[in-house]
Amino acid sequence: MSDPCFLGIDVGSISTNLVAIAPGGEVLCELYRRGDGHPIDSVQACLAQLQEEAPGLAVRGVCTTGSGRMLAGAVVGADVVKNEISAHARATLHLHPDVRTIFEIGGQDSKVTVVRDGAVVDFSMNLVCAAGTGSFLDSQARRLNITIEELSAGAMLSQNPTTIAGRCTVFAESDMIHKQQVGHAQPDILMGLCHALVRNYLANVCAGKELKSPIVFQGGVSANQGICRAFRESLGCDIIVPRHHMVMGAYGAALIASRTGVKNTRYRGEKAATHKVVTKGFTCADCPNHCEIIEIRDGEEVIGRTGGRCGKWDGNGGGPRPQVDPVPDLLEMGVPEP
Amino acid sequence: MTQIAIPNIGNYTVALATAVESLGIKPWASTATTPEALKLGTEAAPESVCLPLKAHLGHFIAADRAGVEYALMVNSVGTCRLRYYRHMIEQILKDLGLKIRIFGLGFDGFKPPLVRHFDPGPITFLKPLFHAGEQIRAIDEMETLAWKTRPIELAHGETTRVMNKLLLELSRCRTLAESRAVRRTTASRFATIAVDRSKKPLKVGLVGEVSFLRDKCLNKNIEYLLGDQGIEVKNFFSLGEELRNIARIVLLNKNRGRELLDIADRYLQTTVGGHALDSVAHSIRCAELGYDGMVHLAPCGCMPEVGVRPILKRVSQDKDIPILELSFDEHTCDVGITTRLEAFADVLRERRRKRAAVGVS
Repeated sequence: MSDPCFLGIDVGSISTNLVAIAPGGEVLCELYRRGDGHPIDSVQACLAQLQEEAPGLAVRGVCTTGSGRMLAGAVVGADVVKNEISAHARATLHLHPDVRTIFEIGGQDSKVTVVRDGAVVDFSMNLVCAAGTGSFLDSQARRLNITIEELSAGAMLSQNPTTIAGRCTVFAESDMIHKQQVGHAQPDILMGLCHALVRNYLANVCAGKELKSPIVFQGGVSANQGICRAFRESLGCDIIVPRHHMVMGAYGAALIASRTGVKNTRYRGEKAATHKVVTKGFTCADCPNHCEIIEIRDGEEVIGRTGGRCGKWDGNGGGPRPQVDPVPDLLEMGVPEP
Repeated sequence: MTQIAIPNIGNYTVALATAVESLGIKPWASTATTPEALKLGTEAAPESVCLPLKAHLGHFIAADRAGVEYALMVNSVGTCRLRYYRHMIEQILKDLGLKIRIFGLGFDGFKPPLVRHFDPGPITFLKPLFHAGEQIRAIDEMETLAWKTRPIELAHGETTRVMNKLLLELSRCRTLAESRAVRRTTASRFATIAVDRSKKPLKVGLVGEVSFLRDKCLNKNIEYLLGDQGIEVKNFFSLGEELRNIARIVLLNKNRGRELLDIADRYLQTTVGGHALDSVAHSIRCAELGYDGMVHLAPCGCMPEVGVRPILKRVSQDKDIPILELSFDEHTCDVGITTRLEAFADVLRERRRKRAAVGVS
């Protein structure tokens, strides 16, 4: 007897997360896996782990999200591919229907989502700088030779946090080194770092947004107690860290998969976890855009393509692709040999 | 044969190339900056300048490498830094030891310097002008139809196919009559695309910096990305409209800028360079016309467009129209852009659903 379930997979820059839910929305299994830069392997490892931890699930629908959603979608055979902003908001609204502001800080992205009356009305993402995201904390922890968990616990011990420049990671780092050399205690420096990150986030990502409570804080960085404390102190109000806060993107994706009414899932089943999937890149020369197309293959079978900007290389996996005439090549330049 | 590099302004490049070609000069241009040219420009330009300059510069460097002797650059109307950028680009090219010579498309005297240099005589000068005008008109018509058709097409990619085919034919036209014939078939060709008329697509206006509105390499083909998600777009940079405006200024002493100033009056009382006033005025106008949202495109560090962003935020609040602000840099990966566009589309859909539920039209 197999239980029906829906999968949500969130392939982010730092972690790959998977959540399996029952049709009613209860979480059956949640996996958080720090990635090592191999998104395909991470997704497959997650699927294998799901088999071990919760055997006998019958997958009825899959939704992928995160910056690697197209690739992951091809590997597992997703029914829906959804952007992470909508996925996160869906999960938060499911757990906290009265939420009005969502903070989400991940590995390389930080976002704020403004919710009114149960609907997303505005959002904003960090632009071109990773200061104020998880990778900033990661690199500082590495420099101090402590784990990210120790950074979190250490910051909570601070009685008198010092001020660290938060504009840019490079300046923050030199500021921290100076404070160390002047003799500040490590917990005070760590808490100062958390304050700097939060200050940067509130000043840049949240610029011009009306932050109304209840505020829900999620994403990988929400596991950091120091950051939560810094948010509470800066905003002067409580913030909610939800259950499943580390995997909210995947949870939202699973909820989306369960709500779209998929009849026959495109999930590739056993094949998704075990078959070796390879990718091959080439440059399309049909127009001056010179898109870098990535072809995703399972053996001889093409299961998906990403990277095209005109629809020519879209199409469902290896199915027939729409014929798109090239735009006039005024230059007749062709493409340089790779 | 003399060769001249012309700037890339999206599909309009086809018309510019035709005009240059009928002067007996071989054009060197493309409808989108190539990634290779962009790379050349990024390497040669100072780090802090905006991306359109790097795109222009890279295009000219690539042209020089291909043996092109001359280049053409728009540099006269509008007061953003691009005006001064022609001199900057000239200096950089000189420092690199490149020989390519740049002509401005400015109005210094009756004849533009390019015409003075090649001096083709009045007839050979006017004919290509009218021909290019006809092609620009044709391209404007095609694009308007494509924006409307793409979100409701039944067969995925059909609109793009028809559009590209028409552009291809247009680029092969050698006479005004041929171009006019292509223009006249445009509507009927788009009418052959099977569409779902019952769909009421979301409507979004595109405003912002000109190169980003038009160069498909810089804007990651945003018109297609939006259209593919079932959103009807309107791009507010139209070369036909700009030329008509110049004609109005010259012949009737009437500037469209005045109208825009009237619309934007409560928020902005002066032109602040580039098309920043247009961005504000069109956002206000679109809110009144019932558009579902606006997308504002600007390169990082674009003085006029980034300058009006706080104003756009206020417009968005006052007029209740969502405005998505996209900043572009040298990123070649479009995941960040598509994520924002998809999430924005979700917001707009939800907003429309809610409004329908409470009975707001």
